[in-house]
Amino acid sequence: MTTAYTQREILETLRMAELEHFDVRTVTMGINLLDCAHDDPREAGRRVYEKLTRHARELPQTVTQIADELGIRVANRRISVSPVSLIATKPEPESYVIIAREIDRAASEMGFDFVGGYSALVHAGFTKAEEALIASIPQALSETKRLCSSVNAGSSRTGLNMDAVLKIASGLKETAYLTRSEGSIGCAKFVVFANAVEDNPFMAGAFHGTGLPEIVIHVGVSGPGVVCQAIKRAGPCDLRELADVVKRAAFKITRVGELIGRSVASRLDLPFGIVDLSLAPTPELGDSVGEVLEAMGLQRTGACGSTAALALLTDAVKKGGAMATSAVGGLSGAFIPVSEDAAMIAAVEEGVLSLEKLEAMTSVCSVGLDMVAVPGDTPAETLAGFIADELMIGVINHKTTAVRVIPAYGKKAGEKVSFGGLLGDAPIQELRTLSCGEFVRRGGLIPAPVTSLRN
Amino acid sequence: MDREALAYGVAEILARHLGPEPSQRVLEAVVADMVLLVEKQEAAPGAGEHRLAVLTVLGHNQKGIVHAFSEVLAEHGADIADINQTIVHGNFAMMMVIDPSGCDVDLAGLKAVLKKRAEPLGVGVFLQYEDMLRAVNRV
Repeated sequence: MTTAYTQREILETLRMAELEHFDVRTVTMGINLLDCAHDDPREAGRRVYEKLTRHARELPQTVTQIADELGIRVANRRISVSPVSLIATKPEPESYVIIAREIDRAASEMGFDFVGGYSALVHAGFTKAEEALIASIPQALSETKRLCSSVNAGSSRTGLNMDAVLKIASGLKETAYLTRSEGSIGCAKFVVFANAVEDNPFMAGAFHGTGLPEIVIHVGVSGPGVVCQAIKRAGPCDLRELADVVKRAAFKITRVGELIGRSVASRLDLPFGIVDLSLAPTPELGDSVGEVLEAMGLQRTGACGSTAALALLTDAVKKGGAMATSAVGGLSGAFIPVSEDAAMIAAVEEGVLSLEKLEAMTSVCSVGLDMVAVPGDTPAETLAGFIADELMIGVINHKTTAVRVIPAYGKKAGEKVSFGGLLGDAPIQELRTLSCGEFVRRGGLIPAPVTSLRN
Repeated sequence: MDREALAYGVAEILARHLGPEPSQRVLEAVVADMVLLVEKQEAAPGAGEHRLAVLTVLGHNQKGIVHAFSEVLAEHGADIADINQTIVHGNFAMMMVIDPSGCDVDLAGLKAVLKKRAEPLGVGVFLQYEDMLRAVNRV
């Protein structure tokens, strides 16, 4: 049966795909690596390399082919692997660095830009292996190009592991130093979470959770440009109508994402996992979440009303997406990474978007303080306090929060670090210098909120 | 005749020709299996029909533009299922739903020859399977 499309439908769909920067941000293959365990880390590394190249080799070409047939751009092809700290091997930092190199080698040979999952889940304490992996992160990130790392340091069920936060803060300083020749880029590939999700397809926080199938295809959609243009076309409508406009746009974007995901999964004969319907900006003009907020009526992102506008946006994106697919997952909402978003960078450079305002906004976005750069001489304790603040917003509110912060080595507030490509340029922002050392050095766990007692 | 009645009819014919009269229970099981088979067939994507594609041409209006592209389609054996044209903001827009199943090239190949034909005319050509349109516009 031929379904007749109206001229309007055809032209609107074409406009979305061709003119409004719409792309599917990533097709991510999740791969279980737990069966690569071996006492000898070199053997474990060999198994990891072999498994990755065996299963993921076909993915890039398959995605390109399907994207071309359907007339949709797919920006990235990625892999997420089981948290590497769970691959049983000799629990020493060097062991994990060996595995890190093998993952990086596999990714580079197959043409993947990032592989996520150099991760440890330590929200209620460390195993020996997790301690070793966390200690190895600076070296692993400085010796690899495509590896992404994450640590889950808190959850609404268990509270916040301050010992982990302190280790991470010191590790970030070390990573910044080791990658100083490239603007401390190692830190841009590391994220610390509270309430990390198992099926996130986006970097740097992607990992393949232990509850997932052997291999699975996830999709991360994006499309701030599509939402922005829809808002501009809607004109001066009231806020309820505005939410509806966002919902409709999110619905369409999500449908396309699901179509790509299902098509790729079916052609590779793999299960389809989830669509993560996050608005994720890129440094490209017209592909910015800040611009969406400004189209809603803010003079600049960071103005009073920014948190309210972002809350409306995040919620409407979720509602539209939830109507479009039953396979919603990942982080789903809106990302507000500073260095990857032209309007955010402009707002920071004009001095209207402070870290404090950004922190407030993260309480209603889908992730957290993302791609912010702070002075290189920030003490580790202060970084730990900065991270703990953000993670506790997540722990208390039963949501995912995260911090991806770059303490740019040798740089001061007002300067800039450039990473190029998707990671963009980060202006170095002022961070409060008052000490929180005595507080964070107490160590231990901040207890879970009373709302965790739900059974 | 609905699906189940049809399955009953077919099952009865089979029973009549193939052996002793089956019990009601066996007959019901046969019918249930047949309905399942038909439903599975109908649910399969593209079942019983060809996968259609949408060709959109955008640019300045000029003589012979419809002819130029329908000629390329005919040369390669693509069938036009629907054709539509309009003027958007002074620009010409032509939309065709085509069935490329009889084509002597694949969709990527067809796209390439269409794009080549579009070059001297200075118009833009977009060709894609209809899947995205259906996903976005049909619930």
